[in-house]
Amino acid sequence: MDYLAQYLPILIFLFIAAGLSAAFVFLPMGVSRLTGAHNPDTEKLSEYECGFPAFEEPRSQFDVRFYLVAILFIIFDLEAAFLFPWAVSLDLTGWPGWITMMIFLGELIVGFAYAWKVGALEWE
Amino acid sequence: MIQTIAFYLFAVLVIASAVMVIMARNPVHSVLWLILAFFNAAGLMVLVGAEFIAMLLVVVYVGAVAVLFLFVVMMLDIDFAELRAGFVRNFPLGIAIALVLLAELVLGIGAYQAGNLDLGTPAGDAAPMLGESNIENLGALLYGKYLFLFETAGIILLVAMVGAIVLTHRPPKTQRGHQHIGKQNARRPEDATVMKQPEVGKGVEL
Repeated sequence: MDYLAQYLPILIFLFIAAGLSAAFVFLPMGVSRLTGAHNPDTEKLSEYECGFPAFEEPRSQFDVRFYLVAILFIIFDLEAAFLFPWAVSLDLTGWPGWITMMIFLGELIVGFAYAWKVGALEWE
Repeated sequence: MIQTIAFYLFAVLVIASAVMVIMARNPVHSVLWLILAFFNAAGLMVLVGAEFIAMLLVVVYVGAVAVLFLFVVMMLDIDFAELRAGFVRNFPLGIAIALVLLAELVLGIGAYQAGNLDLGTPAGDAAPMLGESNIENLGALLYGKYLFLFETAGIILLVAMVGAIVLTHRPPKTQRGHQHIGKQNARRPEDATVMKQPEVGKGVEL
């Protein structure tokens, strides 16, 4: 497992990041718990006098067109993901591999042209 | 040693965040837990040696699918208090699903106790590794041996694109004026303007 050694810095970074973020979260909590007076009651925990409880959920519905944009993004994202192994292994696959990818791109260009023609990419 | 520690770290985090996906009250929170589960699954994939799959998990699943899940969660107008109120009404359905899961468990344990699968031993005559890295091997197979499946994947992507557009695209209600550049360029000055030289005091005839 030689190649896993390349990932060791990332693992170390993960541990450092987890430790730092845990320290930033729990250190102030602990310090304030140990040093400050801590005796809450219902009035202290309720909303402030000029605030009020929320009337409704803050979430609101999105326009369905966001969904279309997200779907198109995923499709082209996948297409781009297919490009990486193709580009790396082009000296192994040669011309057939190149032609394959061009056909694949052609298929998606058909879809892209359709999306453009229908007006799926326009917002208004 | 480090690999073992990393494996248990990622595996525990995957399972914990998967449990949190189900347990979280707020659906947005469960999507965020799902993203954490994807990241840890990518870590497991790196440990297995499937680097490309790991990167795909991060790029496609975390980047795109999680965004899509968030969109779905945001678009569905679900009143969760009302959902929980339907407990009695949905109780038979829940019992049915629980029974199906129980049957699967029984079958799975039965299959486990039936003994090991006979996987055979590698004969050593398989195709040798073509490239040096995982992604290079994968590319050589995908664009060499499995050309047809790859093109089929392209067709499926095309169908998905067209289907999404057909399902969700609504033509704009108000037609805006569009600029036709060709029409503008084709218009000559002599079509648009007329030179007149009226006599003094007579005005212009149009």
